Amino acid sequence: MALPLPPGLTPPETAFLCEMEMVTVIPRQRLEGLNLLGGPTPPLHPPHRTPLPFWLALLLKRQRRANILPPPWLSPPSLSSILDLEKKTPSFSPPPPLPAHTTTSPPFLPSATADAPPDALPYHWLELGEMLLEAASDDIPEPDNVRRLMRDLREVRMAKMRAGVNVLEGGREVNLNGVGGMEVSEGRAFIGGVVDGLRKIGASKEMSRREREAEERENGIGGGDEEEDEDDGMDT
Amino acid sequence: MGSYYNIDAILTDAQKVPCTFTLDLPNLGYLDENAGGDIKAQTSISLPLWLSTLLAVQRIGPSQAPLCTLDLPPSISPRVLNALKADPRTVDLRSLAGNFYEGAARCLELFEEEEVVDVLCETFKKRAAEIADHAHNPRGALGEGADFLRGLDEMERQLFRAAHDSSKAMRLWMGEMKRKS
Repeated sequence: MALPLPPGLTPPETAFLCEMEMVTVIPRQRLEGLNLLGGPTPPLHPPHRTPLPFWLALLLKRQRRANILPPPWLSPPSLSSILDLEKKTPSFSPPPPLPAHTTTSPPFLPSATADAPPDALPYHWLELGEMLLEAASDDIPEPDNVRRLMRDLREVRMAKMRAGVNVLEGGREVNLNGVGGMEVSEGRAFIGGVVDGLRKIGASKEMSRREREAEERENGIGGGDEEEDEDDGMDT
Repeated sequence: MGSYYNIDAILTDAQKVPCTFTLDLPNLGYLDENAGGDIKAQTSISLPLWLSTLLAVQRIGPSQAPLCTLDLPPSISPRVLNALKADPRTVDLRSLAGNFYEGAARCLELFEEEEVVDVLCETFKKRAAEIADHAHNPRGALGEGADFLRGLDEMERQLFRAAHDSSKAMRLWMGEMKRKS
């Protein structure tokens, strides 16, 4: 055990990745374009809205050189409608639709700018929302309401994740579509542990099932691609 | 079965399983606290898992009979299984065996009792849900859940620790962020 860290990303690491999301700022001061490793930033001319990386926007916000325009989903009406949806269905609310012809993934999708879809939670919703509430609560309409809704959403979704382990067995799986980065880093250890434990306990049953299948294949009954796929799923 | 130095695997192997010998064995009486004597056929002795599995697969003599036959260990006796079926949460697995699940899995490799496997899987899932609830309790293992948590076996303890650590890391991050801004 060389590394004391658990597998996967820790919360600070997830938050660090989230800081590469683009957000929309309203500058208060002029600033020439900066040549950064991730590409040049557009020059800032107040009061024109400009997309900037989240980390730079946070820096400028702390120095009172810019205001951050919160993404449309971080508003009480959007959050409460998503919360209603979460309470109604057993699955997670769907992630925002991908723009057509894209090959990128978060944090390179424009999911936190002012023109993001208002009715879906993007991949980095939890960490982005929390950081915005901490650093720029004066730019967010009704911050206390937003904070309460965020906490409710988080609790509803964590409860769903925990309840998901009850359907796990054999080849069945939990549907984790739409789960955010921070939620993955929080739930990974537990869900991974449960899956691993069930695999250990069910090992003998799995082995006899495979033997039976191999026999059936030899006798020319059953067998085929379907079982192969299932086995692949169990190994991961 | 895990690494050579895996303590849990070693402890699992040391769990006792009742075996019944099918032959007279001379000079093996020390296994039955009868040093220098013989073991008679049909004697039942509790032997560690690593020894009994080897004896059970050993076939000798013209009849090709196994040297001994294994019984289900007391930790997965029908009485325990019935209790688990009734309510998995109230059973103190740790007092049955420190490595309850791993020991049971080792035995089940030899017995092929699919129903027992199903009961154990169901038990593990139900208890895992309970473990998750306790792990997210910021007061940790104190409070009302102490009795349940004391009865966790080694695998469940690791699960509890993992879930507790990740929720602690999350709280830590939230707290740090507040201090920074």
